[in-house]
Amino acid sequence: MTAPTIKVVDLHKRFGPLEVLRGVSFEVRRGVVVSMIGASGSGKSTLLRCINHLETPTSGDVLIDGESLCFRNGVDGERKPRSLAEINRIRRNLGIVFQQFNLWPHMTVLGNVVEAPLRVRGLPRKQAMDVANACLARVHLAEKATQYPARLSGGQQQRVAIARALAMEPKVMLFDEPTSSLDPELTEEVLGVMRELARDGTTMIVVTHEIGFARDVSDRVMFLHNGLIEEEGPPEALFGAPKSERLRQFISKHLR
Amino acid sequence: MSESLHQALDLSLFWEYRNVLLHGLAVNFYVFAASAILALLVGLGAALARVNRLWPLRALGTLYVEMFRNAPEYIMVVWVHFVLPLLLSYLIRSRLEFNPFASSVIGLGLVYSGYFAETFRAGIEAIPLAHVEAGRSLGMPEWLVFRRIVLPQVVRRMLPESVNQFISLFKATTIVSLIAVPDLMYDVTMITQQEMRPLPLYTGAALTYFVVVLAGSSALRALSERWRAKIYA
Amino acid sequence: MGNWQRLVWNQRDALLAGLVVTIKVCAIAFVIAVLVGLLLCLVRMYVRPLRLAAMLLIEFFRATPILVQLLWVNYVWPAVFGWPDSFFAAAWAALALQSSGYLAETFRGAIEGVAKGQREAGYSVGMSPVQVLWRIVLPQAALSSAPSIVNQFTVIVKSSTLVSVITVPDLMYQSQKIVNVWYEPIEILTATAALYIALVFVVSALGKLISDTLRRRYAISAV
Repeated sequence: MTAPTIKVVDLHKRFGPLEVLRGVSFEVRRGVVVSMIGASGSGKSTLLRCINHLETPTSGDVLIDGESLCFRNGVDGERKPRSLAEINRIRRNLGIVFQQFNLWPHMTVLGNVVEAPLRVRGLPRKQAMDVANACLARVHLAEKATQYPARLSGGQQQRVAIARALAMEPKVMLFDEPTSSLDPELTEEVLGVMRELARDGTTMIVVTHEIGFARDVSDRVMFLHNGLIEEEGPPEALFGAPKSERLRQFISKHLR
Repeated sequence: MSESLHQALDLSLFWEYRNVLLHGLAVNFYVFAASAILALLVGLGAALARVNRLWPLRALGTLYVEMFRNAPEYIMVVWVHFVLPLLLSYLIRSRLEFNPFASSVIGLGLVYSGYFAETFRAGIEAIPLAHVEAGRSLGMPEWLVFRRIVLPQVVRRMLPESVNQFISLFKATTIVSLIAVPDLMYDVTMITQQEMRPLPLYTGAALTYFVVVLAGSSALRALSERWRAKIYA
Repeated sequence: MGNWQRLVWNQRDALLAGLVVTIKVCAIAFVIAVLVGLLLCLVRMYVRPLRLAAMLLIEFFRATPILVQLLWVNYVWPAVFGWPDSFFAAAWAALALQSSGYLAETFRGAIEGVAKGQREAGYSVGMSPVQVLWRIVLPQAALSSAPSIVNQFTVIVKSSTLVSVITVPDLMYQSQKIVNVWYEPIEILTATAALYIALVFVVSALGKLISDTLRRRYAISAV
């Protein structure tokens, strides 16, 4: 039995006196789409950022394909925290799409997408360009390759961000509220791309407010509250017959 | 080198003359105060001209600001001191000579009025039109809208930038030593010619300005931050 | 009054020579200021043991008036350090010192102003901290500080009028010489003032062009 692609083990995170994650554990297997929903402050963004180590967990571990992201076994068998270089190596397998897109404004669209394959993976120039162009085509933005991000709409910028993450051929794609910064008319173009990715078998963890998307596209939904997974299961079960009162209230507030 | 370094840092000579030098520093402050007032008043006027409805006023304001904002302080002070009296003499047909203190204040005041005009203009244009319209729709006359709604916000918004301009202006007052106004640098130069020991004197002057400007700017910034925080908290 | 030809036009060779010296002094001072400012900024931000020293130097260069710095560099430095060995060198050194303090702070603001998300995006695709600094942070900091850098050049040009005090034969010096010879200041001083105003105007127009392009093409705002 192969190791799950992502395994989160008893993750805790505190910021000073505030404990945001109080012991979260779950597994995601290859090709599965997991949505994380919950109110603001429930810890879902923090959880995602701990998975790719943009935040360092206070305790607990994250395993990518069985390999620990946070620790390694020292010479004497002791567990030691990983160095930044090792963390970088492992987290190349995770792609992340941010709420604020975070496209690099001083590079063209193509420049943004080709930067990591070229300079991080070290691919030869032609191969890197091919990968980049293919990813841009996949998000239907091939014609914008030579434009600067400033000229693109929010939805287009976010799609470029998705292409940029895809260009590293990650094992898992993480999405941190990808449509929360977008005007309503623009969310659908991004959700559409995400639906296609799911259909193609991409392993995805999506933090979102879009209940419709969570219901239609996910294989599994997790409802977070106060730093813990309160309820978890297939969308039909979670949305059709929510067990907790809080989840019921959350759904009625957010369902459009 | 260490002998000279020791000489430079031996500020006892500087200390000896402290009465004269302190008086010189006071002259720097007088020039600063007078030109600051002139710069603020004229700058505000120029800013108002630049945002006025009538295009001739706008054009005049822009011309004024571009001319004085881009002028080096030194040449402006020299020009006001040597050229302006002659020009005015032709007009009133009698000999006119400017007192160097007056020339400095006018010269520096005009140059910095250009900077302040730009600062005020940016501040005025940043006020949301909605605030002005709210005042107007309550029946406020234009001048009252300006005095009670626009100006207070402009002052608060532009205070940090204005503090920088004031510090710049204070530093620029050292120029007046070059047209024989007895400020700190003038005194230092005179004493150097007498004592023939430039090292401690110029080093002392540099350290004095360092302390004064640093202390003054920190105090000004702290005060302005506290005042602004009342609204922007 | 109508002596423009005699006093200004006929003197154009001397004035031109002065203008050339002005431009030379300003150009050298500008380049040195950018380099020293960048060095001071990086030391202040990234070299812990030297932080306080860098901060003190930056504040010292910013707080002392340019005239004071000119005289100090010209009279005190040769005795203590053995350099500058010429008035010209003292002139560009003092001008560079003054601007380097401002530029150091400008660069610091620009580097810190690059949004955290930009760095995170870099780390997330596996870039090392050095790569993130070199490919993401510094280019954006350079772009956003460009208008301020150009503005410092106008400050250098305006301050350069003072180098005549240490007998550097710049434009100001030449026109003052002409005034001393002919005793008729109106035409020559007005022409000199106009020349300086025009020079500064051109440079600041360039600066405005740069910041407009930045905003339009990259949506990067000046720092």
